[in-house]
Amino acid sequence: MFEPVDDVIERIARHLRRPVQIDPALDRRVMREITALPAPARGGPLGEAWRWLRRPHQLTLTPLSGLAAAAALAAVVLLSRLDSTPSASPQAEARAFQFVLVAPRATHIALVGDFNDWDATRTPMHRTGSEALWTAVVPLVPGRYHYAFFVDGSRWLADPSAPVARDEDYGAPSSVLTVGGGGS
Amino acid sequence: MRPALTRTLLPLLAAIVVAGRTAAQQTDPRLERLDAATRAAVAALVDSARRALLPTEPLVQRALEGATKRASGEVIATAVRRLAADLGKARDALGSTASPAELNAGAAALRAGASPTILTQLRQARREPLTMPLAVLADLVASGVPVDSAAAAVLALAARARDADLVEFRRAVERDIALGAPPAAATAAAATAADVLVNAGARQQRPGRP
Repeated sequence: MFEPVDDVIERIARHLRRPVQIDPALDRRVMREITALPAPARGGPLGEAWRWLRRPHQLTLTPLSGLAAAAALAAVVLLSRLDSTPSASPQAEARAFQFVLVAPRATHIALVGDFNDWDATRTPMHRTGSEALWTAVVPLVPGRYHYAFFVDGSRWLADPSAPVARDEDYGAPSSVLTVGGGGS
Repeated sequence: MRPALTRTLLPLLAAIVVAGRTAAQQTDPRLERLDAATRAAVAALVDSARRALLPTEPLVQRALEGATKRASGEVIATAVRRLAADLGKARDALGSTASPAELNAGAAALRAGASPTILTQLRQARREPLTMPLAVLADLVASGVPVDSAAAAVLALAARARDADLVEFRRAVERDIALGAPPAAATAAAATAADVLVNAGARQQRPGRP
């Protein structure tokens, strides 16, 4: 014979109501395992920023925000361009100019000027043909350049074949070369 | 949507703008040839010129010239400050569309004694770049030509003369001065000769009539 259904339900309910017996050492074991796990890397704000940079983000822009972003980028580009305003447009084509000086007794001559940062090591002149003739060739874009010859590491000479640069400040003579053709 | 925008786009834009400003304000490494005090003074002048949208390269070169010629820091700073002021005056006279080369030549002309009005008149008279006329004006004054004579001659030629014509004009004046002619008279004579040549060239370029 089968038991009545009510008795069966009553028996199951009694069984489920009984308190579950758990090993008293379980809490300690669980906490020990957690402590043994490696701690997540923190790294402070920099680590947080690094994780933020590596996480993918979804951007939603309004047209106005997009315009603001474009304007900010344009401002950055403009600033960087203003930072390096040369004497002439960098797109302008450079032409080679030969500088010549007759100096029979010189042993070393450097050409220095606005085109080589006034660096006496950058453009040494070379004897050509005659022993007295020193030359150097420099590519120049349109603009106005001050320059001079630095003879034997001690003497400044202006170019006798070029206009003199008026200079109330530095005293040592220099010359001027103007290369035409620069656009406005 | 707005929090996402605030959290992601705005910090990115701020970083870009700050990076751009920092790069723009970085001191030019070439100025390391100057002593610390002079470098600071020149860097401040260069920054100021950059903010005023003036070309900064002529200022850097002026400072480097002084360093190579072993000028004192005070003299270098004074020279750079003076050039920055002249570049500003040249821009005022030539207009905001003037190229860096024109401003540099304009500053030289002003330093030589030309008035800002002359620069403005040159701008109005000539469509081509003004670098060469301004440079010739400054060079003539440096050769001893009175500034009024030099300005009048250059103004008369500027409208139609090519750069090469202006260079030839300057050479003729310098040659005559070297041969003993008074500078003003040499300038007037060379200007007349150059004007004849320029006009002849202009006539040759006109299309012939049937």
